[in-house]
Amino acid sequence: MVDVKLENIVKTFDGTTALKGISLHIKHKELFTLLGPSGCGKSTTLRIIAGLDYPDSGHIYFGDEEVTYLPSYQRGAVLVFQNYALWPHMTVFDNVAYGLKIRKVPKEEIKRKVEWALELVKLKGFENRYPTQLSGGQQQRVAIARALVVEPKVLLLDEPLSNLDAKLRLEMRSEIRRIQRELGITVIYVTHDQEEAMAISDRIAVMNVGTVEQVGTPRDIYERPKTEFVASFMGKTNVIPAKVVERNGDKVTVEFESFRLDGLHYTEKSDNVVLVIRPERIKFRPGENTVSLEGTVDLIEYYGFFTEVVGLFGETRIIARAISDKEIANLRPTQPVTFYIDRDDIIVLPKQNL
Amino acid sequence: MKVSKWSERLFGTPLPDPVVITSFLFPLLYLVAFLVIPVIVMLGTAFEYNGHLSLYWFRSIFGSSYYFNPHPSDYLVKTIEYGGKEVYHFYGWDFGVVLNSILVSISVMILTTLLGTFFAFIMARYDFPGKNIMRVLLFIPLLVTPFVNVVVVKKMFLPDGIINWIFYEHLHLFPKPIWIDGLVGVIIAQTITYYPIVYLNAYASFINIDPSLEEQAENLGSRGFHLFRTVTLPLALPGIASGAILVGIFSLEDLAAPIVFQGSAIAKKLMSYQIYSSFVSGFAVGNPQMAALALIMLTIALIMFLAVRWYVGLRQYAMLSKGGRWKPRVAKPKWWQALIIAFVAVPLLLITIFPQIGVVLLAFSKTWYGTWPSGFTLENMKAIVTQPDIEHVILNSVLYSTAAIVIIILLSLTASYASSRFKKAKLAPILDSLATIPIAVPGIVIAMSYFFFFSTVPPFKGSILDPTNLLYFFPGAALILAYSIRRLPFAARSISAGLQQVHVSLEEAAMNLGAGRWKALTSILLPLISLNLLGGAMLSFVYCMSETSVGITLGSINSTWYPITAKMRELIIGAVGSANLAAALGVFLMLVQITAIVIANIITKQRYSFIGLT
Repeated sequence: MVDVKLENIVKTFDGTTALKGISLHIKHKELFTLLGPSGCGKSTTLRIIAGLDYPDSGHIYFGDEEVTYLPSYQRGAVLVFQNYALWPHMTVFDNVAYGLKIRKVPKEEIKRKVEWALELVKLKGFENRYPTQLSGGQQQRVAIARALVVEPKVLLLDEPLSNLDAKLRLEMRSEIRRIQRELGITVIYVTHDQEEAMAISDRIAVMNVGTVEQVGTPRDIYERPKTEFVASFMGKTNVIPAKVVERNGDKVTVEFESFRLDGLHYTEKSDNVVLVIRPERIKFRPGENTVSLEGTVDLIEYYGFFTEVVGLFGETRIIARAISDKEIANLRPTQPVTFYIDRDDIIVLPKQNL
Repeated sequence: MKVSKWSERLFGTPLPDPVVITSFLFPLLYLVAFLVIPVIVMLGTAFEYNGHLSLYWFRSIFGSSYYFNPHPSDYLVKTIEYGGKEVYHFYGWDFGVVLNSILVSISVMILTTLLGTFFAFIMARYDFPGKNIMRVLLFIPLLVTPFVNVVVVKKMFLPDGIINWIFYEHLHLFPKPIWIDGLVGVIIAQTITYYPIVYLNAYASFINIDPSLEEQAENLGSRGFHLFRTVTLPLALPGIASGAILVGIFSLEDLAAPIVFQGSAIAKKLMSYQIYSSFVSGFAVGNPQMAALALIMLTIALIMFLAVRWYVGLRQYAMLSKGGRWKPRVAKPKWWQALIIAFVAVPLLLITIFPQIGVVLLAFSKTWYGTWPSGFTLENMKAIVTQPDIEHVILNSVLYSTAAIVIIILLSLTASYASSRFKKAKLAPILDSLATIPIAVPGIVIAMSYFFFFSTVPPFKGSILDPTNLLYFFPGAALILAYSIRRLPFAARSISAGLQQVHVSLEEAAMNLGAGRWKALTSILLPLISLNLLGGAMLSFVYCMSETSVGITLGSINSTWYPITAKMRELIIGAVGSANLAAALGVFLMLVQITAIVIANIITKQRYSFIGLT
């Protein structure tokens, strides 16, 4: 059983705080993703877990054992580097066997294990090649095999797909997921791509400028963002600044432009809020619990498997996404339009200074 | 393991790791012990008079017109009688030892900059028949042949020398024969020896200018010399300047030219020669006035070194480029440019490679009076393998150089590893500067400071390193130490270039997979930089073999332990005809250098590169 616990990790580089007290609990056999824009501290967090950097303060536990200042080579948290870091002077076999040789595993067993690992990443028969003779995707598989073969307590992946082309990225994504399930190991995964994170993860931590904004399942994060940052980072969405004008228990009435929307769920103190509305939740006909917004069509953009309608409401642009052409067949730019939104689909969040 | 704040501050890692600590402390302590402290000891001597802190020795230098003479005596050029003919005698004004050295250094910097930039621009920007031959020929002056190349330069510019033979007798370009002598001779000899350093630096700068920068200027209407003056030259200037300063320092510390020209009294009135002669004359060794003079020399060299570093640091913009096409701007020369190449560049090149050719001629001839050497002989070359005293010095030099190389490799490996992998450590910039600064420390200053250091400070006092301990002094040990300090920057540069090419993640991956730092170093880093290691080692070896300043001072105290250069000096100033034997040693050194360069080229597939300051 290896679960990874981070308690209040602080890390400063040259006077700027990269991590401002990160706490996380990653469960055994979980595929856990650190997601955030570049510079948010996700790679630093990963390097600290790997033992390649040490925090200024805070604690890291693998299970019950504190590993905060354990050198990388004694830790068993193996990192797959973003650039793969394959040793150019060693063959694929020697690269993969390296960790086993360090552990003084008998020769026969090394051979067996390397074979197993290469089979796992579907690279059998490439043992005698050198890294430069492999494609990007193959190099990455070698890097993964090299990490897996030592049976790490935790596997750490730093933007593993960022150097691959789009098609290969999808393939490797499911491959990583398959291997993780097959071996039942704990994986911590770093990416800046929200779509990749949602597709692959059991749980996601969304990070922003050295803090964790929200931890949850992909569905949680996408549908129930807890902060404006999380909402806006997770895919294309409408974020509309508004003001609370009336409170009634946990229901509020908010105002933006000349529109008043009532009966929305909100319990925070701040009256400065944003309304988060996913484009695909906006409808073109009324429902039971809907509010309506009347404006004009600004733009209609055809994307193939859906069409986006940008409506202009006063000065505010709101994007709606229609799957079938039928519902929007009559719409023309500059013509009037009404958007209908279920009250449960409007998420009210305190305004953040982003 | 315990975390420690001081370890993080000093070494850049919170876990005090023996490999990291050794990487910092070994080179640091070595450089402090054998560079910093000796210089400080010499400093102490220079500032002491009758047991008190005093400026006495400096006052004695600046108060004496021998050392400091703002109202020059002698002449730059004058018509004199020579063998019944009138000749122009180039000699030099005498401003006293200190100013003479500075003026020679500045003149050499100016001349090498003009010559080096001229050749670099032609080679970087024009395409003409024979260019590749010219490229190879331009490396010839880089071959180090202590003393003997200056002997040839001196012969070339005698009234009956080859220059007059061509330009006076045959081409009638001179109204009277010329005779280049004295300080002017020193300047010409040093210019010919050192201009390829500026050439290589300037050439690299011209090649590295993003062509689009010049194309944009042209596109906006700038052409010809205006384009060169406003865009090309400013962008190349940092490279040219660092080459020029390096030459300036080399000129300041050069001993070969003053020793060869010592027939004219003024050539002796240079700082380097004065300090050297205090060693040779013996009784003056330990003279605090010489320590003060060495200190003045060191200060000038360090100011030049720091100034150019500061200047180059300010101008790191030359490499701003955003990708795109990178096709070097090489053009066919116009008719008048072709004329310049044919009638200025080619003759200049032939004149400047003649010293090396002359060394070969000298080695294979019996005598050389007048224009050409005479009497072909193989005796001199044979002597290298048959004459015991010659064999002996070669063996000594190989021994000292090999020992020095081992130390140099260890020093540059540890120093480069520490300062490139732990940049945040407080010690990293200190180590980095200490490892490069030997370039700016004249060899004669090292010799002088070693003399004071080893003869006064325990535990060295009375040991085999103490030059005043005539019974037991072993010059080899002092030479090995001096070589290892002086030639460190050559190897350190090559090795840190290698370290920069190896991404740190390759070592991290190994440590992350369970390798300790030592294992990661030996199994990953060392194999990956082995070629740089070899290249650096060979370059340093070659320059150890031809090291002059310390070799002919500390190294020439006991003839049993002479290095090659000490023997060459003895032969040059010795009996008639012995210069030919010295030339044979010069040929031997050239062969060693060519072999090393060829091997380095084959193995590392890199072009032979000389050093710059940055």
